[in-house]
Amino acid sequence: MKDNVISETDVMSNKIKIAARNVQVYYGDNHAIKDVSVDILDKTVTAFIGPSGCGKSTFLRCINRMNDTIAISSVQGDILIDGEDIYDSKVDPVQLRAKVGMVFQKPNPFPKSIYDNVAYGPRIHGLARNKTDLDEIVERALKRAAIWNEVKDRLLAPGTGLSGGQQQRLCIARAIATEPEVLLMDEPCSALDPIATAQVEELIDELRQDYSVVIVTHSMQQAARVSQKTAFFHLGHLVEYGETDKIFTSPEDPRTESYITGRIG
Amino acid sequence: MRNFLNVAPTTLLVLVLLALTVVAFGIVRSRAMAAASGDSRKLHSLPNYYGYNAALFTAIPSLFVLVVWLLIQPVVIQNAVIEMIPQSAVDQGSSVNLVMSDVTRVANGLDAAVQAGSINPDRARNLSSSDTDVRALLAESGVALGSDVSPEVLAAAQRYRSMQGTGRLLMFAIVSTIALAGLVFAFRVTTEKFRARNMVERFLLSMLIAAASLAILTTVGIVLSMLFETINFFKLHPWQDFFLGTTWAPNFRGDSELSILPLLWGTLYISIIALLVAVPIGLFAAIYLSEYANSKVRAFAKPLLEILAGIPTIVYGLFALLTVGPFLVNLFGRGENGILGVDWMSGATSVLTAGLVMGIMLIPFVSSLSDDIINAVPQSLRDGSFGLGATHSETIRQVVLPAALPGIVGAVLLAASRAIGETMIVVLGAGAIARISANPLEAMTTITTRIVSQLTGDTDFASPETLVAFALGLTLFVLTLGLNVLALYIVRKYREQYE
Repeated sequence: MKDNVISETDVMSNKIKIAARNVQVYYGDNHAIKDVSVDILDKTVTAFIGPSGCGKSTFLRCINRMNDTIAISSVQGDILIDGEDIYDSKVDPVQLRAKVGMVFQKPNPFPKSIYDNVAYGPRIHGLARNKTDLDEIVERALKRAAIWNEVKDRLLAPGTGLSGGQQQRLCIARAIATEPEVLLMDEPCSALDPIATAQVEELIDELRQDYSVVIVTHSMQQAARVSQKTAFFHLGHLVEYGETDKIFTSPEDPRTESYITGRIG
Repeated sequence: MRNFLNVAPTTLLVLVLLALTVVAFGIVRSRAMAAASGDSRKLHSLPNYYGYNAALFTAIPSLFVLVVWLLIQPVVIQNAVIEMIPQSAVDQGSSVNLVMSDVTRVANGLDAAVQAGSINPDRARNLSSSDTDVRALLAESGVALGSDVSPEVLAAAQRYRSMQGTGRLLMFAIVSTIALAGLVFAFRVTTEKFRARNMVERFLLSMLIAAASLAILTTVGIVLSMLFETINFFKLHPWQDFFLGTTWAPNFRGDSELSILPLLWGTLYISIIALLVAVPIGLFAAIYLSEYANSKVRAFAKPLLEILAGIPTIVYGLFALLTVGPFLVNLFGRGENGILGVDWMSGATSVLTAGLVMGIMLIPFVSSLSDDIINAVPQSLRDGSFGLGATHSETIRQVVLPAALPGIVGAVLLAASRAIGETMIVVLGAGAIARISANPLEAMTTITTRIVSQLTGDTDFASPETLVAFALGLTLFVLTLGLNVLALYIVRKYREQYE
């Protein structure tokens, strides 16, 4: 468990990337997130764990305002990225999502070529000046997502033809091609086999050098393997947040202990 | 009783079969109970299953034979009687079929007379044309004949009657025997261990298969009948003229020019205009309904749009003739008095009139199919695009529509095949002049309207002017079938992408 964990002082030296204060989320009458406040650090992997329906995915989707696409949801409280309130009326949610990339539970490559999948974001945001520029962006993103060697000879083949693990890494490449500052991952390995999972986890650990990564996971082993900070959600409350190492070895809250020892969940 | 037998032998037979079926259910069910000495738990199946089994064995085979018999008997009798008519009895300019219809009319007339009581059965059987005026006799009982009855026709009619009588008796005997045999069989196999439940299951399965094959066989029958008439047509008319000629000018002097090309041009031209109207509007409506509209608007607007699909096409035709046509004339015609001050259009019927109205008809068709297809695009793709910072319309244009495109192409092809086969709108809206012209304000005509006009009125089914309708119909069928197959192929081939 300790292999990947960097020391506490390392993490503490990072600055706060995302600051959430008293966040409430309602789906119609359902109070899904209750008064959550949390500071997520830059260049750190933060894991959200908790039983199904505890609100961890909902909270994740607040960070890039994906909940806006659901008509009945409403968000209260403040979420600040680099000190800027993302729910401010001046913020364009569409621009925000370019800055806060997201990788979903099921690999969802578009029914386009591998190249077009990765070039999608840069194209809509006009990040490339010309074709050569775009080629470079695509190549860099695919290399960062550790899939370049597997697909460099078939960039024009459909992205849907790749294996599950390759598809998920393609989706990660697609997300990082827009040069985001934060990467949100909603159970990115739940549809993958163990080998693909290992590859994606390795990738997440590398991505930590440049991004603030937030990952929702059902697997406590995964949280322990890839994250430096862990937040435990239960019934819409943020129960405990701290060093991954500490959460898993000496949790303060009895509910956290029950969950990680398998008594609730 | 005898009278009753004559009135409705088939009805009576069906009633007998129904009664037998009910009896079979009762008898066999109680036999099963008896076999289990009154304890239904000892039986393999529930007691009712033994009853159903017996009822099915009694009713289904006998009803099947009955139906087949009813279909075949008239043909057999007709063939037997037709041989009795000598060539001399066939008048100049008449045909054996016309004489045959006289025969059946006399035979049925005699039956009616016997039934009305105006003539006794024995006299009817021994009637001879020399000492009786059969025509007057039948006229008394309300059967009108066109001419006096010749001895040959009367003899044939008598033969017809007697064969029909024998046929009925035989049918009655054979069908009831089959029903009884079914009952006896079901009764004998019924034991404690007999798997009546499985038997009923298999019986139902075979009935379902029979229903499905009937639908397919009917299609095959339709195609074959069209094919034979088309072959007859091509024996009378050169195929080069039909497929390659450029003029459609049927007349009854025997030198008609019957070419499909002007009609095909009219059909395709009108269909293309219809699609130009229906595809953009239908597609945009579908995009709005599936992507932007909230559930309230959707629940309200979708049925409303689909009402358009429920309007009978003749009503669209009236709309074309009375509203759209005159409006277009106002717009493009009438010279100085018109809205645009031009004189391009003279009559209300034109390619544009029919095309516009047909396009309106196709809007719900395109929108409803496209709506389903757009909804089938997984939400995860939209999320992926939103997550990358794309706007809603970028997502639709670059992710949703490309993913749905094959399905939409399929929907458009299906709409095209409906446009090509559409009749009433073009009958009323497009005019009746066959020509090849690029001007959409001129009247043109289509394959379907020509089929209608060639087959209505006084027609002789041996002339190429009539038979051409079948050749046209078959061409149309091949055309729309091809489009449908292509559409289904495209839809299926790309559907797997979503899975």
